[in-house]
Amino acid sequence: MPQIELNNASYSYRVGEGQTVRALRGVSFSVEKGEFVALTGMNGSGKSTLAKLLNGLFTPSAGDVLIEGINTRDEERTFDIRRKAGMVFQNPDNQMVATVIEDDVAFGPENVGIPREEIVERVDWALEAVGMSEFRKRSASKLSGGQKQRVAIAGVLAMKPDIIIFDESTSMLDPEGRAEIMEVAKKLNATGITVISITHNMDEAAQADRIIVLRKGRLVLDGTPKEVFASPEVEACGLALPPATELARMLTERGFAFSETVTDEDGLVEGICAQLN
Amino acid sequence: MFKDVAFGQYYPTGSVVHRMDPRMKLLLTIMFVVAIFFVNTYFGFMITAAVLLAIILIARLPMLSVLKSVRAIVFIVLFASLVNLFMIKGGEVLWSWKSLQITDQGVHTTIKMALRLVLLICGASLLTLTTTPVEVADGTESLIKPLKYIKVPVHDIAMIMSIALRFIPTLFEETNKIIAAQKARGASFDTGGLIARAKAMLPVLIPLFVNSFRRADELAFAMDARCYNATENRTKMKVMKLGAADYVGFLLIAAYFVAIMLDRYYFGGVMDSLIFGGLV
Amino acid sequence: MRAIELKKLSYTYSKKTPFEKRALDNVDLAIEEGEFVGLIGATGSGKSTLIQHLNGLVKVQEGEVVVAGMSASDKKSLKQLRFTVGMVFQYPEYQLFEETVARDVAFGPKNMKLEKDEIDRRVRRALEVVGLPYDEFAERSPFELSGGEKRRAAIAGVIAMEPKILVLDEPVAGLDPVGRREVLALVRKLHEEVSPTVIMVSHYMDDIAEMADRIVALKEGRVVADGSPQEVFGEREKLAQAGLALPSAARIADKLTERGIELPRTIVTPAALADALAEIKAKRAANEPAAQDGEREDGENV
Repeated sequence: MPQIELNNASYSYRVGEGQTVRALRGVSFSVEKGEFVALTGMNGSGKSTLAKLLNGLFTPSAGDVLIEGINTRDEERTFDIRRKAGMVFQNPDNQMVATVIEDDVAFGPENVGIPREEIVERVDWALEAVGMSEFRKRSASKLSGGQKQRVAIAGVLAMKPDIIIFDESTSMLDPEGRAEIMEVAKKLNATGITVISITHNMDEAAQADRIIVLRKGRLVLDGTPKEVFASPEVEACGLALPPATELARMLTERGFAFSETVTDEDGLVEGICAQLN
Repeated sequence: MFKDVAFGQYYPTGSVVHRMDPRMKLLLTIMFVVAIFFVNTYFGFMITAAVLLAIILIARLPMLSVLKSVRAIVFIVLFASLVNLFMIKGGEVLWSWKSLQITDQGVHTTIKMALRLVLLICGASLLTLTTTPVEVADGTESLIKPLKYIKVPVHDIAMIMSIALRFIPTLFEETNKIIAAQKARGASFDTGGLIARAKAMLPVLIPLFVNSFRRADELAFAMDARCYNATENRTKMKVMKLGAADYVGFLLIAAYFVAIMLDRYYFGGVMDSLIFGGLV
Repeated sequence: MRAIELKKLSYTYSKKTPFEKRALDNVDLAIEEGEFVGLIGATGSGKSTLIQHLNGLVKVQEGEVVVAGMSASDKKSLKQLRFTVGMVFQYPEYQLFEETVARDVAFGPKNMKLEKDEIDRRVRRALEVVGLPYDEFAERSPFELSGGEKRRAAIAGVIAMEPKILVLDEPVAGLDPVGRREVLALVRKLHEEVSPTVIMVSHYMDDIAEMADRIVALKEGRVVADGSPQEVFGEREKLAQAGLALPSAARIADKLTERGIELPRTIVTPAALADALAEIKAKRAANEPAAQDGEREDGENV
C-alpha cells in the first residue's frame, strides 16, 4: 500500500456569487514511504491546495486522498492523519503560537495529550534534530527566518510524523535560510521520513528524488529531475530551469554535447570535464 | 513613532527575582498594591520605598529603568496633584487668592497621593521588569484556573493571551514597516488637526488590517495542522514550582503588609510625629 | 553628477540599552548619477539601515548623507528628498490600501501636491511602464490582483513619483520564476526610462551579477568590497568572510578550475562562462592535431 494516494482528486472553491475556481482537476498519484518529492508549478497552479489536501486541511470536492490507508474524509481520523503528516508553512511568522521556542515546539504534543515527561523528551529531541537546542528558552521574534522555520520543523517533528509537507517553506528565506532548511529536510528524509516539498525554486526541486509538475490544477509531469528537466513542457508550465541545466543548454548551443540531462552543478562539471580533458 | 512604549519592558539580569515563580510575583504584586492603598503616613511611605529599593538592588535593575516607567505617568500625577491641592480644604489656610485656597491638609493629601501613585507604578513595573510577558500570562492562567468551575473559559483566555503576546512584536514591526513605506511615498502623520491625522493613518491601518486577517487565516491553518483542539485532553509541558526564593519573597512582602497595617491601625501616625516632629 | 554621497555614516540601534546594536560603522560611499548599484550583504549587515538613510526614514546620527545636493539631516527638504528617492520595500504589495489601483498609485503624486492633470498623466504612465494597462487595471481593487500584479502595482505607486533615484529591496522575493523574470526585466526598464540611478538590494547573486554595473558589499555595517561585479566577485576570500555566496557561474568556474580547466575569476555570468568554455574547447580542438598552429595564431595576435 502506498503511503500517500490520490485518486482523481479535485478541489474547487467559491469566490463571490456563483463563481467557482477549480484549483485541482482530477489529480492522481501515489508516494511510497521514504520518498523525497518536489511538487512544483507556477503561482495558481494548485500546488498549495494540493498540499492542504494531504493532511485533511481541505477535503477533495471529488475523488479521494488516502494517507496510510486512511481517507481524509473520515472526520474521526483527522487528528491521526495530521499526526502522521505534519506541515511546515510558508510564512515563518504566521505559524508560531508561543513566544518562547520550546513552548512552541511543545504545542502539538500538548494538543494530543502526550504525558508531560514525554513532551519534554520529544521537545529536546526535536530541537536537537534541527540544531536549535541552544535557542530553546529564547523568544521567537529574535530569530532569523531560517531559524524560525527550523523551529517550525521541530514543532512538526515533536509529533513524530511519517510525512513532512513543506508548503513553500523556503520561499520567504534568504539563500542561507533556504540552504539550512534543505539540509534539515534531507537529513530527516534520510531517517525514513517522507518529504513532500512544494516549491517553485528549481534548484531545490532538482535535489528531490522525484518532481511532480502541476499546471492549472492538472498533473502534467511526474518523474525524476532528469526526466522532468529534459521535457520541453517545463517552460510551458511557467517554470525556470535550474542554473546548471540552463548553462548546459547554452553550452550545447556552442558545440558541447551532454550524454544525459544536467540537473545540478556537479553533473555539469562532470559533463564539461568529460568533453574537455 | 512607536518607540516609547517601553513601559517596564523586561530587563534581563538573571537575578533571583527574575527566577522567581511568576505566580508568586503576581500574588506579591497584588499584595503590594493592596497594601499601598492603606499607607497614609510618611513613615509608611518610607517603609514602602525601602522595600522597593531592596528589591531593585536584589534584582540588579538600573534605577533608570524603574524611573522610566514613572515618566509615563508624570502628567497624570501632576494633574491630579494640582486638582487635589486646590480642592481639598481643611486645617490651616496657607495661601489664598480669590476663591482659590491651599490648606495644610490639602498639601499633605497631595504629597501622599503623589507618593502613592509613584510608588505604585514603581512596584508594578518591578513585576514587568523582572518577568517576561509570557511568564505573566502563564502565571495568570494558573492563578485564574479555579474560575473554570464557574464556567469561565480559562483555557481560551490563556490561549488568546498567549497568541496576542506572540504577535505583538510581529505586528509592531509590520506597523513600522508600513509607516516607513507610506512615508516614502510622501505621507505625513504629524501635521494637521485631529481629523486630518486620523485620516492620514488610513494608509497604515488598512494594510495592517488586511495583513492581520491573512495572518490570522494562516495561523488558524497552522494550529489545525498541529491538532489544536480546545479540549480537556490537552497536557502541559511546563509546571510551575515554588522555590526557596518564592517563600522568602512571600515573607518579605507579608512582613511589609503587616508593618503597614500596624503603622496605620496600631500606631496611628505616632511614628510620623516621632520622626518629623511638628512638621506633620 | 553625484547622486548620493555618504560620509562617515554610523548608526546604532537601541542606544544605551542591553539591546544596543551598531548597524552602520563609518560608511563612506559615493554613487554617481546613472549607476546601477547592487547592494549585497548577509542578513543584519546593515543594508536596510543604509537605504533608509537615503530618504530620511532613519535619522542621521553620525556622519553625513547628501542626496541630489540635499542633506538628509535638513528637515526643510525632507519631503523633496522622499520624492527624489523612490523606495520599493520588500513585499511592497503589503502596503496597498486604496479601493482602486489608480487611486493607490496616485497616493504619492497627490502627496507631492501636483495638479490633477499631472497626477493622471503620471498614474497612466506608471501603470503602462509596469505592464498593467491603464484601461484594464485602473478601476480594479488592488486586493483582487494576482501576486505578481500586486507587486507591479505597488512598484507603480513608487514610480508615479518619477524619482531620480530608485531603491529596491529584494524586489523578486517570494515570486515564482515567471514573476521573477518579469520584475527583473521591469527593473531594467525603470533604470532606462524612469529613474537613472538604481540601487538594488538582493540576496540573489546571479541577478546582481547579471544586472548591476557596480556592487557594494556590506559586512557588520562596513563596506567590505566595492567595484564592478568582476572585481567584487573576484575577491573570493573577502566574500566568503562576509558570509556571501558567489553567482552560480563563478561557483561552477571554480569547480572546473579545480578539475584542471583553468578559468579566470572574473567570470560572473552564465553567458561569460559559456563563451569562455567554448573558446577553450575550440583551442583544444585546434591544438590537438597540430600544436604549432595554435602558437602561430597567438603570435599573430601579438
